[in-house]
Amino acid sequence: MRLDIKNITKNFKQKTAVHDFSMIIEANECVGLIGPNGAGKSTLIQIIADILYAEEGEILLDGQKIALMKNKIGYLPQYPNFFSWMTAFETLSFMGTLSGLSKNELQQEIPLLLEKVGLGKEAHMHVGTFSGGMKQRLGIAQALLHKPAFMIMDEPVSALDPIGRREVINLIKEIKKETTILLSTHILSDAEEICERFVVIKHGYKIEDATKSELLERYQDSAIFIRIRQEDLKWLTIIEHLPYVKKIESYGDGFKIHVYHLEADAQRLLQHGLDSQVLFLKFEMGIQESLEEIFLQLVV
Amino acid sequence: MALSKKELTQMTKEFKIVWLPIVFILLGLTQPIVMYYMPVILQSMGGVEGIMIDPTMAKPEGREVLASTLNSQFDQLGIIILVVALMSMIQGEKANGMMAFILTRPVPILSYLNSKIVIHYLVAVICITLGYAVSYGYSAYLFTVVPFKEALWALAFYCVWLLFVITFVAMMSTFFKSPAVIALISIVVLLVCRFIAGLHPFIDAVNPASNSLSAANILMTGNLEVGDGIHIIVTLLLVLLMITTMHGFIAKKKF
Repeated sequence: MRLDIKNITKNFKQKTAVHDFSMIIEANECVGLIGPNGAGKSTLIQIIADILYAEEGEILLDGQKIALMKNKIGYLPQYPNFFSWMTAFETLSFMGTLSGLSKNELQQEIPLLLEKVGLGKEAHMHVGTFSGGMKQRLGIAQALLHKPAFMIMDEPVSALDPIGRREVINLIKEIKKETTILLSTHILSDAEEICERFVVIKHGYKIEDATKSELLERYQDSAIFIRIRQEDLKWLTIIEHLPYVKKIESYGDGFKIHVYHLEADAQRLLQHGLDSQVLFLKFEMGIQESLEEIFLQLVV
Repeated sequence: MALSKKELTQMTKEFKIVWLPIVFILLGLTQPIVMYYMPVILQSMGGVEGIMIDPTMAKPEGREVLASTLNSQFDQLGIIILVVALMSMIQGEKANGMMAFILTRPVPILSYLNSKIVIHYLVAVICITLGYAVSYGYSAYLFTVVPFKEALWALAFYCVWLLFVITFVAMMSTFFKSPAVIALISIVVLLVCRFIAGLHPFIDAVNPASNSLSAANILMTGNLEVGDGIHIIVTLLLVLLMITTMHGFIAKKKF
């Protein structure tokens, strides 16, 4: 399943929620759509799920219009809402029937699926009594029921507590093996754990589209991290005036020294330190920023 | 089919399927009983001085009583109750996202709308029929018997008007977000339709409420008129037009 998003633009009255957005998701990829609140993630997701109507652009799944491929898509809304008077089993059976599954299939599949999402015991309880996490898991179950090739999830874990989040993440990791996934989130560590590729969206614009390692590489600092003894601190005031030292800043329990040419300058700096009788507790080249920091740099 | 079944179960769970018929049975009861006891009521209330109750005053016939059940009970209070009971049939699912959610499945918009309209229409027909049957029984018991065939014809015509009522409420429910607005517009438009029925033959031709008038006429005079057929056709066309409009509205995702 290859998803092709072409030049999507969506306006709400005066506000443009999504601005000329294009991307391609290859089969079996797992893509995290990341952005702050109000960036247009949900709007984009809903356009892909064919709930909202985009003024411009089109979305193709394997070359076909998305509206014709609904059987291939599993959709999990941000706040899955079900009829509270239905039981979990009835909900799945209702949604399954809408997807054209036969009674026999449903009778077989539903108990297995409920077991898989950890709702085996609650199969015959009314959805109205379910907690947020249980509803989320039921939402995943309904999205999986018709065995879609492509799953769209809108903030699957954002509303859950740490335990629920862990359960759902593990579930998604399981699903990932055989399904193409697009999920949106504003919590980076969740996306980091599930997805390999990130698309960052801000004010409706796509501002970054890269894999995790590409991102880390691109945003690597040419800086050196050092930790020295208390009595050597005055050495810092000396090197501050060296021509190849851009800036020194306190970072964690040590210092971050920004230089111009990482390798050559590190060499010189180390030499200078040894000459000045400084004892290095730690010397690390090329500090990698965490994804969280990269994300902040991108969107703020 | 699954949608219709769900719709029916939902109405059962909301007890609509219980209280709606009861209301209409009571409405059907009211007219014959009030008309029967009218002289007694007037007397006991004391009335205005100078009014004399003529005990020999001609008792109304059963057909008149039945016609006024349709025209004054069902067409006024009945419509208001129906509108209020059905106003959120689509709006409710629009508001909580269920409609969009259902439509992410390979479900044609038309079958979604049809399940809504058909089930609510059937329930309304059953309610009206029950109320009408009770009114028929009491009219026959307290006044005179109306020929069964005529009563049935009148009901058939009334049900055409009813179809318009239900579809109209469904359309308002699709267009607007607030139940109050839906109820207000539906009640005003439907009652205005009903009040202007019979004013002018041209307006009548396109006014779905003239089916209700035809129903009353059949009861009063006992015969069908050519114009009645036209009303049915026009009303059905209007219903089709409204369904197409709703379809377009949902397909463009303007909800």
